[in-house]
Amino acid sequence: MALPDDPDTRLIDRLVARDERAFNELVRSYEGRIVRLLTRMVGNEEEAKDLAQDVFVQVFKAISSFRGDSKFSTWLYRIAVNLCKNRVKYLRVRHANEQDELDSVTEKSLGDSRPAGGQGLGRPDEQMAGKQVERIVQLAIQELEPSFRECLVLRDVEELSYEEIEQITGLPAGTVKSRIHRARATLREKVERELGEKIR
Amino acid sequence: MTDPQDLRDVPESETEIDDGPPSDRDPMAALLKRSLGAPRLGSGPSPSILRGVQRRIRKRSRGKFFADGWSTSDAKVSHTLIAAAMLIILVVAYFALGPVGIQ
Repeated sequence: MALPDDPDTRLIDRLVARDERAFNELVRSYEGRIVRLLTRMVGNEEEAKDLAQDVFVQVFKAISSFRGDSKFSTWLYRIAVNLCKNRVKYLRVRHANEQDELDSVTEKSLGDSRPAGGQGLGRPDEQMAGKQVERIVQLAIQELEPSFRECLVLRDVEELSYEEIEQITGLPAGTVKSRIHRARATLREKVERELGEKIR
Repeated sequence: MTDPQDLRDVPESETEIDDGPPSDRDPMAALLKRSLGAPRLGSGPSPSILRGVQRRIRKRSRGKFFADGWSTSDAKVSHTLIAAAMLIILVVAYFALGPVGIQ
């Protein structure tokens, strides 16, 4: 699949000229794709929407530096991925701190009553096989190393070409392919372990 | 930065030859696409995102951008249409109140 349609040159010219209405058009056109991409990266839609706002603010600030060497959408994705990396680092630190507090509270109030695995997969409404598998995959991908997850999502979910992924991540082709391969293998291992069967 | 581990252990047979959709070839990629490509994720435009972006830009530019009601409005009515409506009102008012109006 090709990248989403790029805005025409005229719209980009209006953006460079700081036309506020052109910017509104741009946000409306791309917000869905950017929020979906970020949700897959950070695993939380509210966080992704907040981050998407930062992405568009960054676009507004940096639009004059867009030279047209790559597609506009590739440039936009690069901004999103870079901001996402910073946010993931921040969230990890915050989550680690919160987890420390949560663990101490949980241990006091629940004792040893936590379900095995601790991922809440046994809820009745998640018993339908298809939904459960999807949930397992969603959880498993969040456990991947962020730089691996980033390449995998761009390739397997966004279906971007290797060249586009290189431009977005700034990584060489060999590294991109290797990370995708290893991310798929790790993900497969995690999912098969949770499912207790091979993926065919 | 390139992780040295990235550059090894990728069997040639495992790398994709063409650049088509991976979900057509790899079952794991297809499962991933199905799980994360669900339409419920970020479905539909959200007015709160545009308003949030406008608010952040207005704040950072200290009111230089997105400071007036026109640029931040979601209304689709064009300036031309409003100008035409105003002109009609003025013409009607002129004939109603002017020398050719009702005495």
